[in-house]
Amino acid sequence: MEDDVRTESLNIKDVILKYRPVITFRVKKAIGIRTPDWEDVVDEIVINIIEKLQKQEFRGESSIGTFIYTITSRRIIDFIRKKSKVLRHAPEPNPFPAPDDHVENLERSKMMAENLAKLKPKYKEVLFLYYYRDLSREEVARRLGISPRRVSERVNYAQKLLKKHLKE
Amino acid sequence: MKKCKYENLIDDYLFNQLSEEKKEEFEEHYFNCFSCFSKLKERDELITLVKHEGETIFQDLIKPEKVRKSSWHEKVLASISPRQWAVAAASAALILIVVLGIIPHFKSSTPQFTIDDETVRSGSITLISPVIEVTGIPSEFLWQRAGEDLNYRIYLYDGKESLWKGNTESTSIEIPLNIRDLLKTGGTYSWQVKVFSAEGTLLYVSKKTEFRIIPLD
Repeated sequence: MEDDVRTESLNIKDVILKYRPVITFRVKKAIGIRTPDWEDVVDEIVINIIEKLQKQEFRGESSIGTFIYTITSRRIIDFIRKKSKVLRHAPEPNPFPAPDDHVENLERSKMMAENLAKLKPKYKEVLFLYYYRDLSREEVARRLGISPRRVSERVNYAQKLLKKHLKE
Repeated sequence: MKKCKYENLIDDYLFNQLSEEKKEEFEEHYFNCFSCFSKLKERDELITLVKHEGETIFQDLIKPEKVRKSSWHEKVLASISPRQWAVAAASAALILIVVLGIIPHFKSSTPQFTIDDETVRSGSITLISPVIEVTGIPSEFLWQRAGEDLNYRIYLYDGKESLWKGNTESTSIEIPLNIRDLLKTGGTYSWQVKVFSAEGTLLYVSKKTEFRIIPLD
């Protein structure tokens, strides 16, 4: 009996550890990080999930990921509706807000920026036109004289290079 | 590593280019596929960095554009004599008269840059409610603010038929009673929002979003 309880608690903890980053990402995208609300929403979702798992409300009809996704989405919709009534307009998250200003993240961002600046022109150009100038894939392809598919390939490869540099 | 078929949707998702249905499908997917989630997070980090530090990172790509433009102008201006200017001015005036005569024909066709999602990526508008399903006949439309000093035009459709158009400067609008009377429980309708600047320039067009009215119970 004790083992069961322990296994159960361990599983719930594992589930939360695994899914908290996904929930956080989803919530931040939906409601933005300008106000501290997003942290409360994430915490509420996590508490809700723990309660449901403890009450064994997850019976495996869907995957655990879908179960958590559903709870997360519902909570986000509730939050937006409540917030809209108070503000008289919907909250306005910037899709790409400035990165967290925690020290480790700043350090990492700085390194990534330096590595980006050092990339070969053919990779830098696609990132510049596609993400900085916000051109469509087709427009980038036209300007550089390459296929749209090649544009995507270069972006993906640039990302791989950056990841590699960061690890070194 | 085997590529997940959803990987190609990452950029479109981050730039809000997916239909509501596809967006939700992708969101549910990354709660179940950690490969996609980690790629999504990495891409998001990259785009955020480019958007915030781009001026520094791409300074070698940004500056030369400005320099090249002015030297091109200078060269053209330097090579034209006063007599050639007079001829050019007269021709330009003639062309303008002809073009102004033709322009009214073009005004009626929708400008390409606003509708074609392939060429406009920056700027987008998210519709909040009603989306997918709504319990009972909705009383208002709600969408995300797209910027300062904007005008929003809302279109409600029953299939291809336009039911109603509304205008507002805020990010919600009440559906008039006589229009609400047209909406039936069990029916599926769609709506979209067009965003105009204060001067009346069309800036963004949202995707047409469907919603179904389910009974109140």
